[in-house]
Amino acid sequence: MSTKPAPIYADNAATSFPKPREVIDAVSAVLGGMSLSPGRSAHRYSLECSRVIFDTREALADFFNCPDSSRIAFTCNVTEALNVGIFGLLGEKLHPGDHVITTALEHNSVMRPLRYLEKTADISISILPVSGDGEVMVSELPRLIRDNTRLIVVNHVSNVTGAVADIEAIGRAKGDAVFLVDAAQSAGVFPIDVARMNIDMLAFTGHKSLLGPTGSGGFYLRPGLGLRPLKMGGTGSNSEAEIQPDFMPDCYEAGTPNTLGIAGLGAGVGFVTRTGLAAIRAHEQRLCRLFLDGLEQMKGITVYGPAGGRERAAVISLKVKGKSESAVAQSLDRDFHIMVRAGLHCAPGAHRTMGTFAEGTVRFSFGYFNTEADVAACLTALAIISKN
Amino acid sequence: MSYGLGHHQQKLKNMWSPIQPTPTCVVILFSIHFVLKAEKLLKKNGIGHDVIPVPREISSDCGMAVEFPCLESEKVLELLAAAGLRLAGLYMRVGKDSFQPISAGHLAVNAVN
Ligand SMILES: Cc1ncc(COP(=O)(O)O)c(C=O)c1O
Repeated sequence: MSTKPAPIYADNAATSFPKPREVIDAVSAVLGGMSLSPGRSAHRYSLECSRVIFDTREALADFFNCPDSSRIAFTCNVTEALNVGIFGLLGEKLHPGDHVITTALEHNSVMRPLRYLEKTADISISILPVSGDGEVMVSELPRLIRDNTRLIVVNHVSNVTGAVADIEAIGRAKGDAVFLVDAAQSAGVFPIDVARMNIDMLAFTGHKSLLGPTGSGGFYLRPGLGLRPLKMGGTGSNSEAEIQPDFMPDCYEAGTPNTLGIAGLGAGVGFVTRTGLAAIRAHEQRLCRLFLDGLEQMKGITVYGPAGGRERAAVISLKVKGKSESAVAQSLDRDFHIMVRAGLHCAPGAHRTMGTFAEGTVRFSFGYFNTEADVAACLTALAIISKN
Repeated sequence: MSYGLGHHQQKLKNMWSPIQPTPTCVVILFSIHFVLKAEKLLKKNGIGHDVIPVPREISSDCGMAVEFPCLESEKVLELLAAAGLRLAGLYMRVGKDSFQPISAGHLAVNAVN
């Protein structure tokens, strides 16, 4: 190639890029402007730092329609939040012999903890099946629920196919079980209302569509629901006591937090709120449709996931006939400066249901900062690669 | 003599004799999150206040507390209760470094330790 094209980032499902200017500014203002240990000392820096964290917590509570922001706890990503939820329920609501329901589209951050409990704590697992075009079959849920079903874990948006699970319907049908939603891919794109959707625990990550830095994330926990904390230690509160505080958010936040990440996450949520979820979603879905329409015209490309006009996220998995996934991704990067992800995307179950297990797929994922020109360049590149 | 009520104190100083400053109350909450929540509520409702380190005379805990004019205590307690904030303690400042626990009726306030 004679001219060097500008790099195109189409791997937003892994982590979003670029970040809004205000996120970068917020991180840098906090890093350069104050000491970073909140709630530990009584000086002004510590207090300012506590305010940064408080403001992000309040913003997230508003964002997910949770009336009491103390029910939001920070973690370093959704993986940690999901681990707190799954392991923290053991001995509280979940006991040996109990039953858990999840879906075939879960990320390893759900499946690995659950499989571990299956093996070590006598927990049995049922899997909600997925339809031909990759959608979780919520209608099957009532048949899977047992008397001892204590937990239902659902990935809101598949990081492999972009399929959206009807979590509101699951919230209605969940019975007494704790309903844990993995909002890694959905938060910041699809509306989430913990009250209306009857969600008991919502796990989110800061660095994807909430547009914050890596190392930020957290969860919402319904009032009255208690979990065993995975870590205990200093919280800045109740310092005279040698037992972990039993109130949120402190009980799940031992140790000096990632103040920088939380500051950036607050700015990210601010950006999303100001821009509007509907506007963000409309833009991403327009790019997605453009890409899918272009792919339809091409020979030798198989696309996985929801077909036709179904609601979906701008995460598109595909295969190029006769080419390995890694070779396609490598050529996209090397020859076209297009960054995507190839392989299993940490969700082997999703690939089993699509018949792409072992080798995986090439995944394009568009974000709010991608343009129609980016999509056109991706289509051109794929057309060339699939012909050669 | 100043009891550290910031701008509010300043305002009141103009109306009250500086020798008899308006009495203030100190509310102790369970963690910094609730202190900042209380601060936000008081700010929103135009109630003068200060966020202060928990006085050592009240507790050896390293946290912060909220100080406000006792005149406003009924309103403050109402606001905190409506927001579901549990009190860890409520005190009246009776001297520069001396505090007396007060009870807040239905809120069943206990002194910290
Ligand atoms: C559905 C889903 N769950 C969990 C994760 C894990 O996210 P993190 O690495 O931020 O913990 C991801 C992304 O990698 C994901 O797409």
